[in-house]
Amino acid sequence: MSKILEVKGLTHTYGGNTPFVNDAVKNVSFDIENGEIIGIIGHTGSGKSTLVQHLNGLLKPTDGNILLEGKDIWDEPKKIREVRSKVGLVFQYPEYQLFEETVYKDIAFGPKNMGLDGDEIDKRVKEIIGLVGIKEEYLERSPFDLSGGEKRRVAIAGVMAMRPKIIVFDEPVAGLDPRGRNDIVKIIKDYRDTYNATVLIISHNMEDMALLADKLVVMNKGNLEMFDTTENVFSNAGKLKSIGLNVPMITEVFFELKKMGLKVPDNILTVESAVDYLLSLKKGGVLNA
Amino acid sequence: MLRDITFGQYFQGNSKVHRLDPRTKLLLLILIIVFIFLTQNMISFLIATVFTACAVIISKVPLRLYLKNLKAILPIIIFTAIINVFYGNEGKVLFSIFRLTVNTGGVYRAVFMALRILLLIVLSSVLTYTTTPNDLTDAIEILLSPLKFIGLKNAVHTLAMMMTIALRFIPTLVEETEKIMNAQKARGADLENGKLTERIKALVPILIPLLISAVRRAYELAEAMECRCYNGGEGRQRMKKLQFTLLDVIAGFVSFLFCGLIILFNVVI
Ligand SMILES: Nc1ncnc2c1ncn2[C@@H]1O[C@H](COP(=O)(O)OP(=O)(O)O)[C@@H](O)[C@H]1O
Ligand SMILES: [Mg+2]
Repeated sequence: MSKILEVKGLTHTYGGNTPFVNDAVKNVSFDIENGEIIGIIGHTGSGKSTLVQHLNGLLKPTDGNILLEGKDIWDEPKKIREVRSKVGLVFQYPEYQLFEETVYKDIAFGPKNMGLDGDEIDKRVKEIIGLVGIKEEYLERSPFDLSGGEKRRVAIAGVMAMRPKIIVFDEPVAGLDPRGRNDIVKIIKDYRDTYNATVLIISHNMEDMALLADKLVVMNKGNLEMFDTTENVFSNAGKLKSIGLNVPMITEVFFELKKMGLKVPDNILTVESAVDYLLSLKKGGVLNA
Repeated sequence: MLRDITFGQYFQGNSKVHRLDPRTKLLLLILIIVFIFLTQNMISFLIATVFTACAVIISKVPLRLYLKNLKAILPIIIFTAIINVFYGNEGKVLFSIFRLTVNTGGVYRAVFMALRILLLIVLSSVLTYTTTPNDLTDAIEILLSPLKFIGLKNAVHTLAMMMTIALRFIPTLVEETEKIMNAQKARGADLENGKLTERIKALVPILIPLLISAVRRAYELAEAMECRCYNGGEGRQRMKKLQFTLLDVIAGFVSFLFCGLIILFNVVI
């Protein structure tokens, strides 16, 4: 594995020369390996969105650097658009950015901006709608006639069609029902597997994080509070709670069991692993139901 | 950045100018501007300048904020001055380019015009820096209320409500525009380079989502207002009643005094 993205001492200050100075991100550093799924958690206003907007050069660091494949993305400011096709960013509520007459044209907007030829664009659009689960007959419809969940999938497809090596999602499941949420989680996984991509996800849903993320970035008031494997972060429930964050519900249950004096592990993050653990106890004859 | 556009540029404070009734401020601003354009010589102009300087000092708003507004309007001042330089044919001829001659009368007029606009901008800034947009629209509504008697009964309230809402939503729309611009840039949209036609085309992906969201917001707001039984201005009362105080009387008196002086020196010299 190799480092694909390095964040080095990133600091961002909004409103540099106004009375309203605000350090949104303070001296944050971490490295991401190729193919990892990284979750970013933190309170509202902790600087998550500001952080990710640096990764594709939408914001310029006040201080510090972003290295993409070992190269500072701001070395050649003229080539920043190339960086944006390598690092895709899906904003919060991406369906509000749809603007074309047809679904097809909207998904093709990104690839077209990359200067790809018509055949390649066509191939990519058809391929990506398969991945996000949009039927082919929808391509000629207006994106504004779709349902909420479909709109969001079309908008995500619009970024995925650029085939970025790194794709960043800012709260991709916000405002969706459980079914819509599961759809998006599956799409994100499928994209990573199909294109061998690296993924960063901002989310408030700890269950999704436990299912998806290899590592977690924990932000608190602009500072990097923790950067570790999902297991290690969630087994540190006390610290997370002290900064107003939660662990997955099932981890919480095991946390309480432990408090009651039971000898249970504290790295149970998903319901599946809890079931496995309990079944293993049953097999071992510890539980006699 | 887009965010730097100041609109409804209220500067929090508690100076004597801040505490004046918005109606007083608005009326006196109109009065003084009329008199600034009535000044005919340097002395009466100087009096207007002294008045403006006093207003600026008493407002306790940092000077650099006024300079910022002036900077923004500088091109217009220069343009007006250039037009005026070539206009008229009094005084000595200084020089001529092409068929246009520049004479002392023109230079005098140009300088005078530039200075007048300068005062006008500074005085308007005093009003906008010391009055919240809501107070301002309230004042406008009250000052326009005589229109009720000529059959425009609902129009005045509706107009004021529209202004209030528009002012309220400008920062929201600016924020939204920024978000949409970033989102399209993330998809590789190029907003900075290219020929004029290309740049205009590049605006489509921004304007359409912006328009759609503005319409959506309008519907939501209308529904929320109806849910709270809003049905126009009829019978509505103000939460904050505007009240004239001694301060308003003094401000009015001082302003009239200055206007009197301007007229006096116009006539005497
Ligand atoms: N464009 C902006 N201009 C000024 N301040 C901003 C801007 N965007 C975010 N902020 C401020 O920066 C801080 C971090 O915001 P953000 O990165 O959006 O946090 P999060 O995504 O974790 O909720 C907040 O205090 C927010 O008010
Ligand atoms: Mg955010």
